[in-house]
Amino acid sequence: MNRMIIYKEWLKTRWALLGVVLTFAAVTFYCFLNLSKVVEIRGAELLWEALVEKDTVLTEILKYLPLAAGVILAACQFLPEVTHKRLKLTLHLPYSQGRMLLNIALYGLAALAVIFALQALVSALVLQQWVVWELVARILRTMAVWYLAGWAGYLFAAAVCLEPTWRMRAVLLVLAAGFVALLFKSEVPEAYNGFFPVLLLYVVLSVSLLYHGVARFKEGKQD
Amino acid sequence: MEEPVIVCENLTHYYGNRKIYENLSFEVAQGNIVGLLGKNGTGKTTTINILMGYLKPRGGSCRIFGEDVQHISPATRERIALLLEGHVQYSYMNIAQIEKFYSAFYPRWNRDAYYGLMEKLKVAPGQIISRMSNGQRSQVALGLILAQNADLLVLDDFSLGLDPGYRRLFCEYLRDYAKAEGKTVFLTSHIIQDLEKLVDEVIIMDYGSILVQEPAKTLMAKFPGETLEDIFIDLTGKY
Repeated sequence: MNRMIIYKEWLKTRWALLGVVLTFAAVTFYCFLNLSKVVEIRGAELLWEALVEKDTVLTEILKYLPLAAGVILAACQFLPEVTHKRLKLTLHLPYSQGRMLLNIALYGLAALAVIFALQALVSALVLQQWVVWELVARILRTMAVWYLAGWAGYLFAAAVCLEPTWRMRAVLLVLAAGFVALLFKSEVPEAYNGFFPVLLLYVVLSVSLLYHGVARFKEGKQD
Repeated sequence: MEEPVIVCENLTHYYGNRKIYENLSFEVAQGNIVGLLGKNGTGKTTTINILMGYLKPRGGSCRIFGEDVQHISPATRERIALLLEGHVQYSYMNIAQIEKFYSAFYPRWNRDAYYGLMEKLKVAPGQIISRMSNGQRSQVALGLILAQNADLLVLDDFSLGLDPGYRRLFCEYLRDYAKAEGKTVFLTSHIIQDLEKLVDEVIIMDYGSILVQEPAKTLMAKFPGETLEDIFIDLTGKY
């Protein structure tokens, strides 16, 4: 049954996933192509100088990609479930409703994790040709917050989809906007290092919003 | 004595301040085909939603196979085939994908029942459900219900989208199937034609309450020469 739950999610998301992967590949390639030209013309020293002396990690062009990917993937997975109240079919399957919801969400979070990990790996491999590992790690730690925003965007978008009333959707959107804005507030590299675990905990806890939406759906809440 | 498959006691529900019904009680015995009939807006789908645990009633309770409908276990859900109003299905799947998906959840899955119906439809296994006609989609949904081989079939407005010929054929097929296999059927419909040949018992609802709940034959005997549709209109008034 678990295999079939994944199969259903795959059918819903395969084209969106392909689009996300291609976009990530294209934008990441563009980002490093630009940096390679700088290295070619003015030398890697310029990258060092920028990384050490300026508030940049040189990969800012990638900043909002994970968030967009999270929102798109959540929409692809959860909009078909709530359209025509199809969620009733899913909840009627002879399978624990709680585990079903968790498996669906884990599929999305895992798919995003794979894409983010691949991008981080490629970034590390390319960057280490030009700068020392300490600077590469600094860039990756900064990018980790962007990936966290991707997961948060996924979970909040899923919660908004599952919520049956517009009033509560508006509340969720405000919460989501506030949390995501917090993740993008600082332009300083590694600004979030100190409380990254707390932010991660918030993201993990936001899984409960999905259960809240389904519980309200089962109560028959509607506008 | 064996408990009826469905027991609803004193159901009361409101949408905001609008009363749908108050103290509605009914039972569905094992092996019976019961039709819940009523005009639009009388609470037929509301009742199905309550029965399937997708709506918490303001008052009263329902049990299916002895379990509170607010907490139906997966094992009991396996015994209930549900057809949603409008024959809603996972329409982004194709004929083969949806069969593959559902069959993994139901140990008594009858693949032949599903593909037999698909063969009659002349649809290819790779055909996407969303690209099919309304009638074809409804038959895919019905095929899946039959393949599930459940003990209780809950059909919400099953006749929607079916042409008259197929509707009659389906009613006959469903009755033969339910009687031969000892299935219990609880259905709602706003099209009364053909139902007199299908249902054992009718529940006719009007706004706020049940008007009639008795065996179809008893009801028909009270109105000699009239069809079930005529009786329905006599009881509920013309639209």
